[in-house]
Order: sequence, then C-alpha cells, then structure tokens
Amino acid sequence: MTALISFTIYLFLVFVLAFLANRVGKSKAFVSEYFLGSKSIGLWAFALTYAATAASGGSFMGFPSLIYTHGWVLAWWIAGYMVVPMIALGLLAKRLNQVGRIAGAITIPELLRRRFDSQMVGNLATVLVVFFMFFFLMAQFKAGAEIMATLLEGVPVYQSLVIVVETSTAGLPWVGNAEGDYLLCLIVFAISVIVYTTFGGFRAVVWTDVMQGIVMGIGVIVMLVLVISQVGGLGNATRQLDEMTPPRFVDVVLKREGDPASDLRLPRGTWLMLEGGTDVVRLKSASVIPAGASESEPVESLQITTPAEIERVRKRVDTKWGVLALPASEAVPYAYGDGKKGVYVHAPGPDRINPGGFLGVMLALSFFAFWNFSGAGQPSYMVRQMAFRDTLTLRRSMVMVAFYFSLIYFPLVIIFTCARILLPGMEIHPDRVMPEMATVLTENAGVPWLAGLLVAAPFAAVMSSVDSFLLLVSSGVVRDIYQESINRNASEKQVKRLTYMVTVVVGLLGVFAVLHPPPFLQDLIVFASAGLGACFLMPMIFALFWPRTTPLAMAFGMVSGGIVILLFYWIGYRQTGDFKEYRLFNLHPFIWSVVASAGCLFFVSVLGKKLPDSLTERFFGKA
Amino acid sequence: MEDSQEKVPTGPLGEDLASSFRQSRKEFRFMIFTWVTFAAWTLTYNHFNAKGVEGEAVEIVLGMPKWIIFGILVPWVIALTLTVWFALCFMKDTDLGDDDPTNGKGGA
Repeated sequence: MTALISFTIYLFLVFVLAFLANRVGKSKAFVSEYFLGSKSIGLWAFALTYAATAASGGSFMGFPSLIYTHGWVLAWWIAGYMVVPMIALGLLAKRLNQVGRIAGAITIPELLRRRFDSQMVGNLATVLVVFFMFFFLMAQFKAGAEIMATLLEGVPVYQSLVIVVETSTAGLPWVGNAEGDYLLCLIVFAISVIVYTTFGGFRAVVWTDVMQGIVMGIGVIVMLVLVISQVGGLGNATRQLDEMTPPRFVDVVLKREGDPASDLRLPRGTWLMLEGGTDVVRLKSASVIPAGASESEPVESLQITTPAEIERVRKRVDTKWGVLALPASEAVPYAYGDGKKGVYVHAPGPDRINPGGFLGVMLALSFFAFWNFSGAGQPSYMVRQMAFRDTLTLRRSMVMVAFYFSLIYFPLVIIFTCARILLPGMEIHPDRVMPEMATVLTENAGVPWLAGLLVAAPFAAVMSSVDSFLLLVSSGVVRDIYQESINRNASEKQVKRLTYMVTVVVGLLGVFAVLHPPPFLQDLIVFASAGLGACFLMPMIFALFWPRTTPLAMAFGMVSGGIVILLFYWIGYRQTGDFKEYRLFNLHPFIWSVVASAGCLFFVSVLGKKLPDSLTERFFGKA
Repeated sequence: MEDSQEKVPTGPLGEDLASSFRQSRKEFRFMIFTWVTFAAWTLTYNHFNAKGVEGEAVEIVLGMPKWIIFGILVPWVIALTLTVWFALCFMKDTDLGDDDPTNGKGGA
C-alpha cells in the first residue's frame, strides 16, 4: 500500500507538469509548439528527453528479462550502447536540425517532402512512420499495464475493481476475453498518458521526460546498491551464477490428498515438490483440481536443476495446499546449456530454442550495429534532434547522454544477473522480473514504500516512450496528411481540435489492439525499431549528405528497407511459428535491410534525373 | 558523399552553409571510424575470450567475469571518454539558422 502511495504521488506530478506545459505553450503558435516545442529545447530537457525516449519499456522490462534468462552475455548484446550517444545523436542531428530549419519543417515526413519537393516522398514517409510506430505503441501499452498489475497485485480495492471490470465486460466481443487485471491496468495507464500528451503536447512530453529520466536514473542506482548488498557482493553472485544450470520445462499433474469436496485453485508461480521428494517445480499458469477429482489436467511447469538453488527453493514450497506434482511428460531441456555449468557467465549464453546458444559473434555484430544505426534512424529521436536550440546544446547533451546511458545499461546487467540469485524460477514470466525485483529488494531492505518509486522507473520509461510515439503518429496524421493534402488553409482552431482528437483516437486504437497482448514484448520492440530504422536510416543519411539523391530513390530506399524487414520476419514466422526473425548468415535482418536500402538509394539516384539546382542549392549551398 | 557535388556557400543560411555541411561530413566520418574501432575491439576480444573453458571456474575481476572487464567495461570507459572529447573538442558549433518563414506553417 505504501508503494502505491508513492507511485500515485509520482503520477500526480506528471499531470502537474503537463498542466504547466500547457500554460507555457498557450502564447505560442500551436502546431510548432505542440509538435516541436517551438524548437527551443535546452540542454537538460534535450538530453533527458532523448535518453528517456530511448530507454523505453524494452530497456526496463524486456532487457531485464533477457538478462535474467541468458546471463552475463547480455553485456555483450548491449555493448553497442558504449558509442550510441556519439553515433545515434551525432550522426544526423546537426544536419537534420539545420535542414529542418531551412525547410521550415515540423515533422520528418514534412522535412523529406520539402527537401525533395515531392508529395509522394512525404506521404510514403507518413504511412511508414504510422505503420511501424503502432507496434511500438502496442508494446509500450502492454509494458505499462503489466507494471501496474504487478504493483497493485495485493491491494484489496484493486482486487474488487478487477472483479467489477471482469463482470461488466463479460460477454463483450474482443474486450470480454481480456484478463480483468490486465484490462483495468491498461485502461488506467492509457488514459493517463493520452490525457497528459493531448493536454500538453511536445513541451509536456519533454518536461515529463526530464522528470521520468531522473526517476529512471535514481531507480537504477538504488536497485544496484540494494542488489549488491543483498547477494553478498558481486563476486559472490558471479560465483553462484557460474554453478547454475538452466531449468527444464515439464508438464505435471497435480495430485491432492484429503477431501475433494470443492475446487482447489493453485495460482501461477506456486512452488511444489515433484514426486520423489528431491526436485521442485513452479507452475507456469494457474491450475484447478476440480471438486470430486483428486488430479488436475496436465499443466506446464518449470523444474529447477541447480542443486544449491533447489535447496533454497525448497523453503518456499507451500505445503498448505497438500498437493504433489507428478510428471506428465518428459522434461524439455534448453537446446543449449542443459546441465552445463558456467553458461550464465560465458558466451553464447543458454537458449531454450537455438542449439547454438543465445549470442554468437555474428549476432553480436548485428546488435552492435543495430543499437547505433537503428537508433539514429528512429523518427521519434529525429524529431527531438530537430528541436534543440543550438549546436552547443547538442554537444553538451551528447556528454550528458553518454554518462546517463553508462549509468543505466551496464548497471541493469549487474542487477538482473544478480536477480537469478534472489528470484529463482522467473522464467515462467520473465517480462515481470523488473517490478518483482523492485518489490523483493525493498521488502528485504525493510523499505516497502520505496518499491513505488523503483517501479516508477520502468513505468516512467514506458510513459516517456508512449507519449513520444503518440505525438509522432498524431503529427503524421494532422500535419502531414490533413494540412498537406486535405486542407492547406486550416485555421489554428481546426488544427488544434483535430490534433487533440487524433491523439485520443490513436491512443484508444492502441489500447484496443493490445487487449490480447503479444507474448514477446522485446521481440515486438526490436521489430518496430528495425522497421523504422530500415525505412529511415539510409534515406535520411542520403537526403542530408548526398545532394544527388532523387525523390524516386528515396521512395525505393524507404520501401525496400521496410519490405526486407517484413519479409525476414514472415520467413521467421513460417519457420518457427513464433514472432521471430529469419537470420540469413546469422545476421539480424536490420543489416540486410540497410544494405538493400542503401543499394536502392545509390543506384536509383545515379540512374535518375537530377533535382533542380535551385532545390539542391537551398539545402547544400551553391556549386 | 561525392566531392564533385560539394557546394559553395549560398542559400538562406548565407555563406556558412557549405562549410558547415563539410564539417558535418567530417564529423560523420569520424563517428563511423569510431564505431568500426569499438565494434572490432569488443567482437574480436569476446570472440576469443568470452566462451570460457569447460570444467574451469570463471575468472573473476572486480566481481565480474574477466572477459566482461576487458571486452566490455574497459572499451566502454574509453568510448565514454572519447565521446566527451568528440562532443566538447572535435565537434564544431554551427549556425543552424531560423525557420524559413516562406515554408513554415507554425501559425496555422
């Protein structure tokens, strides 16, 4: 309950900032102010809004779950971040801001349209931004709802509300099938973000990003200190990890003793002894032994295999149920790492599906490129790069972001490798490891109220990303479609009303789409990042640095990048049945999409007709 | 990208446009060089050292596996230092100009 109070205070502050931002922006021209903060964003605001937008739900929910599942090798997976502040922020920012000002552009599609004097280029960019950005929105909405659900789990009022929601939505198509707790949290989360984004626009987003960036930084540092002290030092944790072997997955039948007069419902996550009395399993989903029966249907569970861990977990086995687990299938081992000590402290890291392990050298190369260049190619970051005040702001922000990312990403690896010691069996729901860790660490330290602030860190990350994506999608619709193609003479009042409406509608569509969430949060985020990077990285580099680039080449560059990503994911889906990408030569499809996009841009430009000199001179100077 | 396409100063930003474009391109090349250097370091070092030897306990330095220190942490610290130098010393300030009033729809 104390955690909930501190969390509520945090949310209240977010709304206060949105209100203040709205008041400040009232005196300025609406579109430029709402979508780009009148291009006057200073040092702290620019650095922290950039960092907070970059560190999304993926960084604070998906990334920790990967660290937990695969171990220290995730430090290599994320190693590209050592140069991200320089590359992602420096590669395009100066030219982008300059060309944006010459073009008088507010959005990325608008900038491209004016750089090439081509409606087709602008419209295509809008469609691609809206399409891929929607996947981002879905992932962030899911992350936000999951965090809230974890935080509120033990609150009685919340449990009653969940029952009300479940009863009132039962029978409704699509909505009625969603889990009650998830649906309630999703609605509350979505309303919060939609309201403050709609109300305050870009300035509110930037201001709340600043606060959220600070919360995230403090949250990570506090967690780092708590976790190192609670595992008895980092060296001790690494030695224990070195002894660990991956779990196995086994279907079990639950057998109860005593009077079977009523249903017995065991919640997800229950620890039980496996028949024989030496091993323990954890239920992957809730299970019911019906009245009159002594056994349940088979249910998937996780079997711990490390002897020292089994000893620790035995203490958690709850004997009050009077239930024993009987194996109903052969245990399924990890494809790489089963029975092997040391897999959590070495490369390639254990993997449930891939027999080659989690991270080979080619995939490590892919991600070293992916974080930097896909980061540079994200329209949500590009928009921020159009908004800084001057180059001094950019240079100083680069330094701040470099320190900030170093303080966030490397400590996260330490925190969540140690999480394996404190939180065994989280493979049943790894996306929840971050909020669970916040709760466990603060309870162990005797300061449960702090959990609210620690959970506010990933929540802040999610909110600061959702608001940016929401704004980007609504700017695409209002600025790039309505104002450019439908009503060029729209009044400020009309534009304002439409902008508010679009932000709300897009947000609601996002909620509706994610009522039955996709299972893989991080996979969805990587897909959306890769898609946007594939569509915009090379086209933007060519547009800013190569005067010879033509509008047709831009169209080919954007479309080819997007098609390669979609194609490789489609092949991956056909091969595995999962939302997984196909890796040609073990390289991530992003690499191939960049190659395809660059090739199209170069050859179509060389073969095409040059742009008029006057247009080229405007953006590059006179030949 | 092609030097033959280089432009001399003109346009709405005045005489600085072509030189700022050249400076941006110089910085662009430096960043690509930096990326290649650090990618080569981490990939090469970790390819040969991160796998460990089966049956042997992990070598620990500062509480972490040794390969993390020399394959990730040390290059990370150097990259951080280089980023600070790049941002404060190598990168040059440029007059970014004002919004082109003939295009802007800020008041719409």
